[in-house]
Amino acid sequence: MVEGALIKIVIDDRPVEVRPGTTILRAAQQAGLSIPHFCFHPAFAPAGSCRICLVEIEGLPKLELACATMVRDGMKISTQSPRVREARRGVLEFLLADHPLDCPICDKAGECKLQDYYQEYGLFESAFREAKEKRAKIIPIGKRLILDRERCVLCTRCVRFLSEVTKTQELGVFQRGIHSEISTYEELPVKNNYSGNLVDLCPVGAITDKEFRFKTRTWFLVQKETICPLCSLGCNIYVDYHPGFTRVPGTAKLYRVRPRENPDVNGSWICDYGRYGYQALAKDRAEKVLWKKEGRDTIMSWEKILILLAEKLRTRHLAKNISGIAVIANAWLTNEELFLFKKIFKDDLGLTKIFFADPKPGPEDGFLLQAERSPNVRGTKEIGLQMSPARLEALSQNTDILIIFGTFLSDLDTPASLKSALGKIGTKVLIASQVNGLEDDIDFILPAAGMLEKSGSLTNKNGKIQFFSAVRPSCGDSRPEWSILVDLAKELRINSGYYSLMTQPDVIFKAIGKEIAFFR
Amino acid sequence: MSAGLSPELKKKIGHIVARYPKKEAAILPVLHLIQREKGAIAKEEELWIAGLLEIKPIKVREVVTFYTMFHQRPVGRYHIQVCSNLTCSLMGGEKVVDHLQKRLGIKIGETTADQRFTLSEVECLGACEQAPCMMINFDYYGKLDPEKIDSLLEGLD
Amino acid sequence: MAEKILTKHFDLANLYEIETYLEQGGYRAVTKALKQMTPAGIMDEVKKASLRGRGGAGFPAGLKWSFVPQTSDKPKYLCVNADEGEPGTFKDRYILTHNPHLLIEGTIIASFSVGIHSAYVYIRGEYETVAQRLEHAVVEAAEKGYLGKNILGSGFDLDIFVHRGAGAYICGEETALLESLEGRRAYPRLKPPFPASVGLFQCPTVINNVETLANIPAIIEKGASWFLDKGLPRDGGTRIFGVSGPVVRPGIYELPVGTSLREIIEIHAGGLKPGKKLKAVIPGGMSAPILKPDEIDIKMDFDSLAGIGSMLGSAAIIVIDEDTPILDVLEKVAKFYAHESCGQCTPCRIGTSWIYKIVKRMSSGQGEKGDAEELVRLASNIKGKTLCPMGDAASMPVLSLAQKFKNDLESCLKEG
Repeated sequence: MVEGALIKIVIDDRPVEVRPGTTILRAAQQAGLSIPHFCFHPAFAPAGSCRICLVEIEGLPKLELACATMVRDGMKISTQSPRVREARRGVLEFLLADHPLDCPICDKAGECKLQDYYQEYGLFESAFREAKEKRAKIIPIGKRLILDRERCVLCTRCVRFLSEVTKTQELGVFQRGIHSEISTYEELPVKNNYSGNLVDLCPVGAITDKEFRFKTRTWFLVQKETICPLCSLGCNIYVDYHPGFTRVPGTAKLYRVRPRENPDVNGSWICDYGRYGYQALAKDRAEKVLWKKEGRDTIMSWEKILILLAEKLRTRHLAKNISGIAVIANAWLTNEELFLFKKIFKDDLGLTKIFFADPKPGPEDGFLLQAERSPNVRGTKEIGLQMSPARLEALSQNTDILIIFGTFLSDLDTPASLKSALGKIGTKVLIASQVNGLEDDIDFILPAAGMLEKSGSLTNKNGKIQFFSAVRPSCGDSRPEWSILVDLAKELRINSGYYSLMTQPDVIFKAIGKEIAFFR
Repeated sequence: MSAGLSPELKKKIGHIVARYPKKEAAILPVLHLIQREKGAIAKEEELWIAGLLEIKPIKVREVVTFYTMFHQRPVGRYHIQVCSNLTCSLMGGEKVVDHLQKRLGIKIGETTADQRFTLSEVECLGACEQAPCMMINFDYYGKLDPEKIDSLLEGLD
Repeated sequence: MAEKILTKHFDLANLYEIETYLEQGGYRAVTKALKQMTPAGIMDEVKKASLRGRGGAGFPAGLKWSFVPQTSDKPKYLCVNADEGEPGTFKDRYILTHNPHLLIEGTIIASFSVGIHSAYVYIRGEYETVAQRLEHAVVEAAEKGYLGKNILGSGFDLDIFVHRGAGAYICGEETALLESLEGRRAYPRLKPPFPASVGLFQCPTVINNVETLANIPAIIEKGASWFLDKGLPRDGGTRIFGVSGPVVRPGIYELPVGTSLREIIEIHAGGLKPGKKLKAVIPGGMSAPILKPDEIDIKMDFDSLAGIGSMLGSAAIIVIDEDTPILDVLEKVAKFYAHESCGQCTPCRIGTSWIYKIVKRMSSGQGEKGDAEELVRLASNIKGKTLCPMGDAASMPVLSLAQKFKNDLESCLKEG
């Protein structure tokens, strides 16, 4: 056989060609066939303990594990033969005999492997007449993790994750035989920046999230794909969003965030900082265009505010008196938005006081979490903007119009200093998805969509451009930042013809590519 | 933290650890030695062993709870372990248990109030030709009957 | 029988002391092996002798040794399996108690042949007094220059370490033994890779039973043909048969491979005790399918027993008499495997417990129609489906009891 040549096998009468070193399970997946498995996970070495992936190989007397057996040239495999079906049913029967009837109250219902496989390969009546093992059911094992030992199928994915991935080993298996149980050491909890992955990893409802428990049903949730913006790696995520019940207002809610596999970015995991931080982005949203005049909030229309703002800027531009205007951006803006931002404020208006306010860098964790806590630092650089930090005290000396994008001002200074600095600036405009305590110090609040309700692209620290779209409909009157910028630019009438063409983020992205090679 | 072990024992443990290319491999012999001196492997001992072998305490407890010869709570001065497997049962092993339970006034799994005797059932001890058998601490006794059991117990201090 | 191999000189009270052992010709084989033979030559001799593993699986020893790569940048290891947990088995205890030097000598020759310099004897924790005797023998052997550096000036180094187990039958399974030796819970490993390439501490490893290694000195000294002739063409030598249960003379009997079961029970062990009648025999340790009285003319060798659906296993013969209800036997069987299941894989972890629960219910008088069939069904769902052979060990006795003694079990069930 030629070195590196593909291996030819047959699975369920389907010919498949795979690279040497491929397991039967992986080869089957390639052929579009799924083989059930509990203990197997692509990120770990095979454990071979659940035994549900047994398949029949022609010529071999015993059934073999699909997860751990490498294909060999000419192998004929059956995943559906009577022997295989019987073996699978046997494993399911054993697991169910030692499993509580918790489905009606178990959060995993609807996405539970035991349910799914029973539906597909079981559908038998229970023959178990003995007393089921009683085990502890509500064991806190981490800040947000609850362990239920009755539901546990001892696939040991959780133990192996903490051993092979985080290398923190907070969980182990105590006792032996039917009394085997997953446990922490005394009260030492699972405490690392990846603990949330255990909930996703558990194939059944043995490990659940405390905040998600009993809150909803998985089949009500709409799954959307997006990118985590809480650091510069840009982990791929799923966001599970409940669209709400139409007859009960206020029930729409973002329930949870899960990893989306991407071998080039985050592999199979996301960190807790991102997973739990993302949900905070949905809270306390700015929903209305507000003009805070004389201590009162006046709701404005977008048309009105944009005309007002454009007028102010245009007047100063024409009078060549722009030195008092400052703008603060952030590296959470998409490539498209940063491009527009630069074009409008730097190129068209010729402003020099362009600054950035971003979350303070934090410790990187040696795995996924980066020190930079903004998703588009690289994008900012490639667009051609310098991330000069905003210094409000200095700015306040010679600025009378300040436009701020994003909610990160509060990270810059104490509330008192911020208040004092902002107080010295005549007109302050905030374009952000959350107000974050700055309500009293801002004159105009323009509600922005933020990461949840817009589309666009971000460039991660390694230069990978990732596209994302909205996970839910717009909140209140909020609009994506790119849309606000486009309409503002049109009102500025410096280059409105150009901006009229910028109808959608993908159009804008193409325009970037025309000017900057990196984005081609 | 010393776990209250004698210097001689610590020295012996050091020699044992040196027999293996990886320290963790010494855990079974070390557990045996420590249990003999301290009576049981409780948290204090787990932490000491974890430090010695450079593993996490949870790994120690995983081992302690897997193997039946290690216990987390002390047993009596004489741990009477009666074989409950097939041949001993064929040769009257149940009567041995009955007699011991009556004589000592405790049931399987219990310890006498004066902490002298703990009674346990174990699997095949590998002395089936002398069934029915029991092991007291590490000493084997076979071909048991009530008289033999009584005289054995009387001979213990 | 003509000259014994393993139990030779067992009548000498001090055989375990090296002076006595040497007087009886001990360590001559080591001298011959190290000074007159080559490692490859020794391996060939062992292969020709058709020495099959004496622990239970019966894998040819010489062949197993040959799987270890000749050259390796990693150290190689030998693990002596002295875990002896198979119920009914006590032969290795005899060898280690009466003639530990025989084991040591076999270990040295095996290590020399494979290129091993560290050997660990994994001895079950309950055999504490035996372990102490073995450790003493190791010290004696080292003092006389049979262990340590440059043994007998051959340039070959070997250390033997005694490592105690702690009460887990599963450690008799070779990969579980490795896990236990490495300091972890004794969970058997997936094979491949096999221990010969990835074994102890990820290094090439040979694992041999005590009795297997105890045969090596005789093979070397007397030659493969001599050894082979004592047994059968593909199964050479003698076996130490253990007989227990209500027989006149329970104990060990070293006899040629292929001796009939009837001969062992009736002649050597003296037959059933007066007043007792034979009901059943387990021929090879508890994991071996049970035999009925009309099956005991079978020859005690691997192939013959496999041919009638049982196994030679550890050659531990358990005799059951008519006064013992089969349900009691089944209960002991079910209890044992449920207790000893390591819990790693689904069918064994849950299946053995389920089976035990049903049997307990039957024993308490609550057995129902269909229970025996259910036991067969569950045992069949375990057999062949588990990560290690213990699944087969747990299921085969249940299957054979339920099938061969169906009437006995059904008579225990409730009416209707």
